[in-house]
Amino acid sequence: MNESAFLYNALLVGGLLFALGMIGFLVRRNMIVMFVCAEMMLQGVSVSLVAWGRYHADWGGQMLVIFIITVAACEAAIALALILMLFHKSGKLDIAFWQEMREEGQPAFIDRNIPEEGLEEHHWPVLTPAGHEPEVDQDSLSHRSRV
Amino acid sequence: MFTSSSIFTFAAIDVTHCVRSPLTWALVCGALWLLLMVPRHVRRTKLTTGVTFVLGIATATLFGFAMPCLGTAPDSVVFYCLAAVTIGSAAAAISMKSAVYSAIWFAMSLVGTAGIFLLQGAQFLGVATIVVYAGAIVVTLLFVVMLAQPEGHDTYDRISWGWLAKPTSVAAAFLMIGVLSMALSHVKDGKIATHNKGDKNEVAAAENHMAHLGAELFTRHLLSVEVAGTLLMVALVGAIAIVIQGREQKSAQAAKGGGS
Repeated sequence: MNESAFLYNALLVGGLLFALGMIGFLVRRNMIVMFVCAEMMLQGVSVSLVAWGRYHADWGGQMLVIFIITVAACEAAIALALILMLFHKSGKLDIAFWQEMREEGQPAFIDRNIPEEGLEEHHWPVLTPAGHEPEVDQDSLSHRSRV
Repeated sequence: MFTSSSIFTFAAIDVTHCVRSPLTWALVCGALWLLLMVPRHVRRTKLTTGVTFVLGIATATLFGFAMPCLGTAPDSVVFYCLAAVTIGSAAAAISMKSAVYSAIWFAMSLVGTAGIFLLQGAQFLGVATIVVYAGAIVVTLLFVVMLAQPEGHDTYDRISWGWLAKPTSVAAAFLMIGVLSMALSHVKDGKIATHNKGDKNEVAAAENHMAHLGAELFTRHLLSVEVAGTLLMVALVGAIAIVIQGREQKSAQAAKGGGS
């Protein structure tokens, strides 16, 4: 196997994972999805570390990944406890709700440009005209709306 | 234009080379594709769905051209499948409207990453990723989502942040990948120094990988192991303390509300 090509490909994969995690963290509003993206960034770094460790025949890459996994587990415990506390206080997992959290005396900076759901998103039910048997959609019969 | 300095061995940025390389176009296509994939507050029409699909195929093809071949055919095929699973699942994880689907796609991405670890010869890490990350962390995440959001996705799941966040983050991320690939162009040609502390086979040896890993971990990194254990205990105590304090605050509020 071509070692330097393997290194390049693995580093590209790790970098893309990190980039995708970064995009997801900055774009999404759900606290759980933001946490998933943070873990994705850590995983991208892990892939890069293992690739370099193999290329230089150094065990240090894998050692650091073991510690990354450990730290990620600790971070998951604390982060999920904090997210649950925030959920109990606000009733939802939205991080835009907590925008005003700051120290006393700090000037307010609130992002007023949070897009609202457009009115076209509402799908109102369509009534069939009287006298006709409504077409039953087999998919909607078996669809489970709660995950 | 940069000139080569003594520390970084960058060549001058060759614009024509950048424009002709498939990686640049793969990154541009990927950026546009991600901009369309993340949850948006405008309704999705058939045209946008078709454009998203075509852009996704184009990104995958261009990346296939951009990544150098790995030598033997079975190695290439296995690695490309694993890379496609990893990156595709990661892109799906950030695009899903439901948080549960997002977590499950992330678990799929972890399976792809574990495969890459196994291919690199890091067998313990491949198994540890599945057992610890996908098996414990993602499951705990799913528990929290089920506690907090049992009805599925809400308004804030269907809409991302505003008009500045999406293009800026996508542009920043793919600019980062572009600079990374430029810096790694030496690696592609093989013109990078190998330390060769030991034989390459020593790290990737299949027979006593665990023995060598354990020896390295508990001799050279013993202090780090002890610190990691202390960190785990501190995190455990901290999580319990946060929950207890939250419960005390809630009962204090309830007592105040019930008394007045």
